[in-house]
Amino acid sequence: MQSVSDWLNTPGKLAELSLALVVVLPFVGALINGLGGRVMDALMQAFFSWVPGVKSMKPGESSRGAVVTIAVGAVALAFVAALFSFFTIWRAQANGEPGQLSVYLYHWLSLKTPRGTASIDIRFTLDQLSGVMALVVTGIATLIHIYSAGYMSDEPSYARFFTYLNLFTASMLVLILGDSLPLMFVGWEGVGLCSYLLIGFWWKTPEYAAAGKKAFLYNRVGDFGVLLGMFLILAYVGALDFKSINQAASTLGQAQLAFNGHVFGLSIASLIALCLFLGCAGKSAQLPLFVWLPDAMAGPTPVSALIHAATMVTAGIYLMCRLSPVFLVAPHAMAIIASVGALTAFIAASIALVQGQLKKILAYSTVSQLGFMVAAAGVGAFTAGFFHVFTHAFFKACLFLGAGSVMHAVGAHGDASLKELGGLRKVMPITHATFLISCLAIAGVPGLSGFFSKDEILLGAAMSSHYFTFAPWLGQATFAVLLLTAAMTAFYMFRLYFMTFSGEYRGADHGHHDEGHDHAHDDAHHGHGHGAPHESPFVMTMPLVVLAIGAALVGYLGTPHFLHLLPNYWSDWLHPVVASAFGHEAEVEGALSPLVVMTLGTLAAAVGIFFSWSFYGSGEPARTVRNLAQSLPSLRVFLEDKWRLDPLYDLLVIRPAHTLAELFALFDRIVVDGVLTRLSAALTRIAAYLLSRVQTGFVSAYLALMVLGVSWFAWWFVFPHAKVAVHNEGDKVSYSVGRGFGYLTRMDFDNNGVYDTAWVEDPNGFEHVFDDQARGDLVVRVTSLGPYHRVREFRLGDKLKSAVIDAKVLGEGWQRDKSDNVLPVVKLKKNQVVLIPNAAVVGQYDAKAPAQEMILRRGDSLRIGRAKLEVGVAVHSVLQVKNVFGYVKTKNIEIHLYRDPSLDKPNAPADDEVPGLAEQPRSDEPKDAPGPLALNSNLKVGR
Amino acid sequence: MYLGHYLALSCTLFGIGAVGFVVRRNILVQMMCVELMLNAVNLLFVAFNRWNIGNLDGQMFAFLTIAVAAAEAAVGLAIVIALFRLRQTVQSDALSQLKR
Repeated sequence: MQSVSDWLNTPGKLAELSLALVVVLPFVGALINGLGGRVMDALMQAFFSWVPGVKSMKPGESSRGAVVTIAVGAVALAFVAALFSFFTIWRAQANGEPGQLSVYLYHWLSLKTPRGTASIDIRFTLDQLSGVMALVVTGIATLIHIYSAGYMSDEPSYARFFTYLNLFTASMLVLILGDSLPLMFVGWEGVGLCSYLLIGFWWKTPEYAAAGKKAFLYNRVGDFGVLLGMFLILAYVGALDFKSINQAASTLGQAQLAFNGHVFGLSIASLIALCLFLGCAGKSAQLPLFVWLPDAMAGPTPVSALIHAATMVTAGIYLMCRLSPVFLVAPHAMAIIASVGALTAFIAASIALVQGQLKKILAYSTVSQLGFMVAAAGVGAFTAGFFHVFTHAFFKACLFLGAGSVMHAVGAHGDASLKELGGLRKVMPITHATFLISCLAIAGVPGLSGFFSKDEILLGAAMSSHYFTFAPWLGQATFAVLLLTAAMTAFYMFRLYFMTFSGEYRGADHGHHDEGHDHAHDDAHHGHGHGAPHESPFVMTMPLVVLAIGAALVGYLGTPHFLHLLPNYWSDWLHPVVASAFGHEAEVEGALSPLVVMTLGTLAAAVGIFFSWSFYGSGEPARTVRNLAQSLPSLRVFLEDKWRLDPLYDLLVIRPAHTLAELFALFDRIVVDGVLTRLSAALTRIAAYLLSRVQTGFVSAYLALMVLGVSWFAWWFVFPHAKVAVHNEGDKVSYSVGRGFGYLTRMDFDNNGVYDTAWVEDPNGFEHVFDDQARGDLVVRVTSLGPYHRVREFRLGDKLKSAVIDAKVLGEGWQRDKSDNVLPVVKLKKNQVVLIPNAAVVGQYDAKAPAQEMILRRGDSLRIGRAKLEVGVAVHSVLQVKNVFGYVKTKNIEIHLYRDPSLDKPNAPADDEVPGLAEQPRSDEPKDAPGPLALNSNLKVGR
Repeated sequence: MYLGHYLALSCTLFGIGAVGFVVRRNILVQMMCVELMLNAVNLLFVAFNRWNIGNLDGQMFAFLTIAVAAAEAAVGLAIVIALFRLRQTVQSDALSQLKR
């Protein structure tokens, strides 16, 4: 214990421990509930069955308290630990130290790259950016865990739900705190998995399971981009931790993508940014991958609030902020990102205008707000985008939880139709108040959090003209689209508010539900016995109140500088880690002034709210809605069909994929299952039939076969076998002869009919040096010198009088002249080899003059094209093997003798250049007379 | 008498045994053929031992073979009796249960 307290007293160790606990605690909670949930339930049930007076319990009911304590406790403690860690770095920064806390757990893997070894550690780092994000995630996760305790109270799979929720929190924290891209990717995939599991939480309803699958698959498309980006970074930076990547940003911005020397005008940073943005588009639901998010509302409402509004979907924006220096040096990629963000914001808002379901509207609103954040990152205002992540987490979580509270009140499940709501203001005062505050915040009403963050984004877009130097209009276009979207946001949010809370309650009969949920989770809410709508219990309203307070107030952390209201804590805090396209407090010449931007933003909100009130808040809603619908029917249908994106994807991606799959299936059925399977089956059957004839069952037949087999073995052992391997270096040949039982061996090396050795028992060590008189056919060998090792050998004799040397063995550029392609030929003429070079370069590689015919003799070698040509002789040796019965076997061995390269070694150059070629003729080696007259002067002549 | 003669006799005996073992169907005769082959090998052992002066390995092996042959005969005859009680025959053709 002494050592533990010593360790904790070491400066910084306690903070490191708390940082590790932030990640570990939710994971431990998930482990306990996930592995022990059922055991716990069984034990509790057994215990309660002993207690008199307790009525029998449904599955999952008895262990509910324990599960909640563990799940909420784990996340709440993680929040406390995150707070402690955060204040540690806050204090450090206030003291002028680097505001960073890092805990190293262990070394994960080392990747060897051309730029050095990338060491990837399990290391969690809390800095200004991840600190804020960790606080948001743990804080909101805690609130939503508490809320879920009430909301899911009728759910049989209670422990499973909280396991997933805890696992999600742990994965999200790994994503945020991971120090390197691979570790972040672990969390990235982890949250994707949890999202899938929770969307399909009520998996017995096929549509819900399909929604989970859809989310997972769309995310996979994005993850593919993240992986590609990661590989690119590994290739060009040689490291994967965020610090090294960001330090290398300017190098990446200058490096150009080139392929075979061709430059595409695309920097490596742009390519990396686009690849990573594909991942962000998947996770943060941007065009073209956003369609999964509205479907993800199939999950329980707290899940929609936590994962699909407040935390996971902002991971893409978080990644962009994390690697903001890399994104910033890639303005072309940023232009695409800004456009995608603004378009997504607009399209999603337009769809939200006409949706009729509570959570669907909120989902499209989330997509739209994510579009705002991405557009902010795209115009280089990362701080503003991340500020919106922060404020959005509060008001959108509050809105979703409020929607959940409404659905809980009216007994709706899955989603609630606006047509069956209304007038809930009186019965649900707390829900109403918090919902109104959040609506005002998201609409951008001055004084509330959404106003400040949206204003920062609009300001960033307005100032971005000087960042997009190649397209100054882009900033203004982004600004205009975002401003329009802001007005639409205010409109649809207040449409939602008015149709839910004002007017009269339109829910006809309380047992009735708008969608068909007649499966496993049915009893969850049906069994509730809903009377009139009622306010939700305290565990559900408490998080609403906390979040609403946050939605109202957190904006004051980032008040704009020009108001001189408060210091802009937000941008000051993030300044050390997040890059920006603008100066710290810059006002850009020629752009709209901040005050004008703010006024326009406020006006947009006012216009949106006013129209919404006049349509839905003032009169009898049904008529005005109908009037609006009738005025533009086709547009309305188009928007209700979500811009027909799903059918478009179906046509562009799914149908072709299906067609391809069907083709492959056809191939599989006909070729693989049909021909191949049947054929092999038939062959096996025939073989089996034939072999089974042997199995007569008569012992004497088996015996006869055995005697035959043994006799064959006996013969094989006694029969002489001559196996010989030949190794020659020039004229010196060594033979290795296989030995056998009782064998005697002798050899006639030069095939003159006289055996050169006696019969010997041990044939090893046979060696012979051939002299110049050795006779045989002439052989020509051509060996490539190029990158491929190719060899051609021609034995010129009675059978083959001439041979063409092909271009493959000669190698690239074997011709003197590209237009002339006549291949060289070797011929046998009067026991001499004649080489007709035709178009080939012979000898000196830069020889331009056509070479003459040359006469080559045994031992000559020269260079032709990019190959070496040698002339040798094919000689024969004869091997005889005798066994104990005197049976003799004779074997003829053909050996090709070329010039011994070792003879050239003493004077040869260090590199293995062809001897005697492309170099000075050797003066120290006397030429044998008479040399072939037609040879080049630098060609060495045979001995 | 040279070694070759012994070898020739041994090979002949072994061949007769092997052929008889394969051709005949009476299990008793087949067992006799097995004995014949064993004794051909015995002859070989003893003959070779004559050329291996100062060493009695070959003769030792001959005794070993005789002992094994006796044991084999005892077991084999017991099996034949059991078979005869079961099937009322000692023809090996009649015994094709191995097929199943």
